Amino acid sequence: MKWRLGFAALVVVYALLLSPFTGYLEKRPVEVKLGYLPHPQVLKVASGEHRTTVAEMAVLRVLFYFGSVLQKFEENVILRPEFMNMYKMLQSSLYLDPYNMDAYYFAQASFTWDLGRIKEVNHLLKIGMEKRDWDYWIPFYLGFNYAYFLKDYVQAAGYMQRAAELSGNPLFTNLAARYFYESEQTAFGLAFLETMIEGAKDPAVKSHYAMRRDALLAMSILEEAQNMYLDQFGGGVETLQQLVTSGILEDLPVDPYGGSFYLDDHGKVRTTSKLAASDQ
Amino acid sequence: MSQPHTGLFTIQTMYSQINVLVKNNLRAILRDRVLHAVLGVALVMILLVPSLSSFSMRQVQELSITLSLSATSLILLVVTLLLGSSSVWRDIERRYTASILTLPLSRGAFLFSKFVSIALFLILCTIVLGLGSALVISLASDSYPSDLPIHWGNICLALVGDVLKYLILASLAILFSTVSTSFYLPFFGTVAIYFCGSASQEVFEYVSGQFGQELSPAIVKSITAVYYCLPNLSAFDFQIQAVYGLTVPVAGLLLSALYALVYIGILLGLAIYAFGRRELP
Repeated sequence: MKWRLGFAALVVVYALLLSPFTGYLEKRPVEVKLGYLPHPQVLKVASGEHRTTVAEMAVLRVLFYFGSVLQKFEENVILRPEFMNMYKMLQSSLYLDPYNMDAYYFAQASFTWDLGRIKEVNHLLKIGMEKRDWDYWIPFYLGFNYAYFLKDYVQAAGYMQRAAELSGNPLFTNLAARYFYESEQTAFGLAFLETMIEGAKDPAVKSHYAMRRDALLAMSILEEAQNMYLDQFGGGVETLQQLVTSGILEDLPVDPYGGSFYLDDHGKVRTTSKLAASDQ
Repeated sequence: MSQPHTGLFTIQTMYSQINVLVKNNLRAILRDRVLHAVLGVALVMILLVPSLSSFSMRQVQELSITLSLSATSLILLVVTLLLGSSSVWRDIERRYTASILTLPLSRGAFLFSKFVSIALFLILCTIVLGLGSALVISLASDSYPSDLPIHWGNICLALVGDVLKYLILASLAILFSTVSTSFYLPFFGTVAIYFCGSASQEVFEYVSGQFGQELSPAIVKSITAVYYCLPNLSAFDFQIQAVYGLTVPVAGLLLSALYALVYIGILLGLAIYAFGRRELP
């Protein structure tokens, strides 16, 4: 009888404790940190046969971390993502499992636009292309990076062609042919982002691409409005505000990264946010 | 009329003795509640695979195969350690050997029956966990189809590789168990060799390369000697071939299987020798 009473008392105390305990946990400041992985060689030796699992866990850790940073951004809490640490973690995971598509995908999604590490990402992608010789996504990413970021259209055409051969989808050939002009750079970027959003499964990555797409779309609207102004008035605008005062645009579009659009010395549309979180 | 003492008769007698002992041992293993709990945890782990795999951005099917094979391998390791480490010394402590070895039964047959019963249970676990894995891999793959087809043959091969690897570890645990008087040496000795054997190939390749030139030749030779003595467990790792459907070289596969059989033979031979010389209470 005494035991039963004691047990019942414990259950009651537990029930009473739950509310303050969970309240304390909810209010606790959360440090969004990626943490560190041991050296890849040490990790490979230590993880043994479980290295593919460890590699995937490292990629997911990067993804969850990035997701939490994006969530904070939506809540107007600006955190500078640990891009270099993220990159090193992905490199480590690819050392453990060079076939891991999640790592290539995330490297392409995050380190090209935000970090500008095009050559490093391309280096990773070339390893991926060698290993995953059946996968058309990797030459597609390479083709895009060469055309959009490096302006190397010859290399880009070759990779797009490879993507077309592997997938049997002429979309890649069309993309290569249609957008390999600098004047169409924004349209090329938009086409790429639409393809990536369509194929993205993870909400964090999807929202990351969508934000980039919205920013490019806003720039595309401004560039079209500039052309219309040129046609109507025979000269270019000096400030973007002229597009509104002339009645071509009702309002200036908003930069989803929180910056303001302006015209540089060459009349190209730029934004104060530079469309990316800055490198650390 | 007395039976003729021919070689064939001896083999037949030994076979029937081992058969009876294996059946008894298997009954004891199947009644073990700790193993029931371990297998329960294993099935829960495998059932969690589809939901865990859905976190992957581009390779849900591949992650489901990775996680299933990892979970299976981990559970087989636990089962091997539990069964192998508590095999012989516990029988001696409980004086089971004292009664069973009064029968016309050799110590070698007793030890071999222990190994066979552990091996059969490991195979049974692998089949059960393999079927569970097949189910969850199919489920994950149906939810997010991959560009790659599922290579069931490679997955089976990875499971066979696991069985061979844990059979080596089981025979190692039995060897430690024959010279030990407690749980510690068989358990921790086997765990240590599992980690060393899984990493030995990487370390050997590292030492054979650029890094080895900075070391003294004596150290390199000792590492090489340890590498040849330790069981090379990385030879039985076909996980990456199973996950991405890569080709498995047949010659390498046969060599690995032969290596496992020979290594198990040597370990069991040593165990029988050690057990034969041990003074039993």
